[in-house]
Amino acid sequence: MKTVNPPKKLDSLKPEKVIDLRQAICPHPLNVIRDTLRALRENDVLLAVSDHEPTALENAPRFCERRGYPFRTVEQEGVWNIFIQKVEDRDARLKVENVSKTFNSGDGKVSVLNDIDLTIRDGEFVTVVGSSGCGKSTLLNLIAGLDKPTSGRIFANGKRVEGPGSDRVVVFQEGALFPWLTVRENVEFGLKLRRVAPKIRKEMAQDYLKLVGLTENFHGSYVHQLSGGMKQRVALARALVMEPAILLMDEPFAALDIQTRESLQDELQRIWVESRKTIIFVTHNVEEAVILGDRVLVFAKNPGRIKSEHEIDIERPRQPGHPEVFLYTKWITDEIRENGEAVDEVQEAAV
Amino acid sequence: MKRKVILLTVFYLLLIGIWQGVAALGIWPPYLFPSPSGVFDSLLAGFQDNSFTIGILASMKRVLIGYFISVAGGLLIGLAIGRVKVLDETVGTIVLGFQALPSICWLPIALLWFGLSESAIILVVVLGSLFAVTIGVDAGVKNVPPIYLRAARTMGAHGIDLYMKVIIPAALPSIISGLKQGWSFAWRALMAGELLYVSIGLGHLLTMGRELNDISQIIAVMIIIIVIGITVDRLVFTKLENRVRERWGLLNA
Repeated sequence: MKTVNPPKKLDSLKPEKVIDLRQAICPHPLNVIRDTLRALRENDVLLAVSDHEPTALENAPRFCERRGYPFRTVEQEGVWNIFIQKVEDRDARLKVENVSKTFNSGDGKVSVLNDIDLTIRDGEFVTVVGSSGCGKSTLLNLIAGLDKPTSGRIFANGKRVEGPGSDRVVVFQEGALFPWLTVRENVEFGLKLRRVAPKIRKEMAQDYLKLVGLTENFHGSYVHQLSGGMKQRVALARALVMEPAILLMDEPFAALDIQTRESLQDELQRIWVESRKTIIFVTHNVEEAVILGDRVLVFAKNPGRIKSEHEIDIERPRQPGHPEVFLYTKWITDEIRENGEAVDEVQEAAV
Repeated sequence: MKRKVILLTVFYLLLIGIWQGVAALGIWPPYLFPSPSGVFDSLLAGFQDNSFTIGILASMKRVLIGYFISVAGGLLIGLAIGRVKVLDETVGTIVLGFQALPSICWLPIALLWFGLSESAIILVVVLGSLFAVTIGVDAGVKNVPPIYLRAARTMGAHGIDLYMKVIIPAALPSIISGLKQGWSFAWRALMAGELLYVSIGLGHLLTMGRELNDISQIIAVMIIIIVIGITVDRLVFTKLENRVRERWGLLNA
């Protein structure tokens, strides 16, 4: 992938594509962003043209700013030209290039992922949503290095992914804590592998358990003595304590009841705001994806692919039932439904 | 708990009482049907002239050496066939086959290889329990939830760490079952071996009892064998098993 760098005079660069937003009768902010993003995927320099300075359009510069894409707005006789330049490699935490994955099944090959291209910036919170069997968990496994792509390449933290590594720790749905260890020992597990001194190990474990909101009197408990929510808190602490550059989360809250899940969503947003860790979060629940993600990737199946991308521009902390959350959720759900695929719209439906 | 103790005490006192009663009736001669008091006297005499103590020590030494070798070998083979598919498909079948072979069937070969020596009888003990341990370890390793391995690998575990810190602890409940079963097989194999092959030991004491027509001694030695077997099983393995199951959260699951 080529890099156009540094961008000196944006408006002097020849735009590869012009998208005219004037034609949109009622430009829905999501539509604008979606069109822009789609165009950006194929072009390095883009010009968006609008005939008013609408509230709808201001979202585009905002998302450019967040992603670190240089942009510039020029007004000419009541027409606003917005130049956007894609700066691909500069701070990409994760790059997935033309990745496909096929599995051998009884009567031949099944394509689970088809030609996935994806770039995730440092500090981005990306959620991946799709119905079961769309390959979203497979993608996570490939990024984690637990599985190998059939074709294509994955780069994480500037290095080709060849196998699992503690720079990309996974938080699983459930049952991944070690029952033979106490809560604290579970959190210390990875540090022990790194040969961290016992004293430091213990302090770090305590700090991170505190961060995820697990009080000290549970630190010596065994896993089976904890509730589902507490287990996932421990799992989160166990991953965070490794201080991974990328945190991969595979439906970590799917098995929890609604109240617990919402409190963990709050907790995760808080932790992300504090740490600005790069997080890739897989879920089958659209509302959860909207609440947590800066960017929602919608997967479709047969074969698994990224169907659409949505920037979620809502103030944090976000909560279920918030009007904007509701709007985005509805919008994305409708889009998925058009495809005839089933997902959970609101969280109640998931239980 | 208290109820159980009383119940058992009453039951066994009653049993011994009936036994004593039947013996006192004199239907069968005492060299065919001993009385409990006769057995008790034999026990006492056996420990007083140290013949029982020497026998117990000789047997325990053999079973411990043999069992130790079995555990070491069983852990290695079990881990290997549990993790490597091609070994499971090849070596695994041998393990299953030999497990079906009563351990005493190894004695003729053992005698040919090692002659009338300690090594021969230890070989019988080893081959008696090795496969039970192996199968326990193998089953445990195969049943380790893959998610533990995946989780450990994303935290940077690989190679020997994966075995020592994840696979073995995760398989421990099943490994302990294998060890327990291996122990009882080892104990049985030893007794069978000692009965057929004359040297010092509890099995030998049984043979001696038969040769001397001393049925009281036979019963006394049988009681010792039962007591040792149960004691080790209860005090070592059941305790260990319960602790592991409790910690793993398997008890109230």
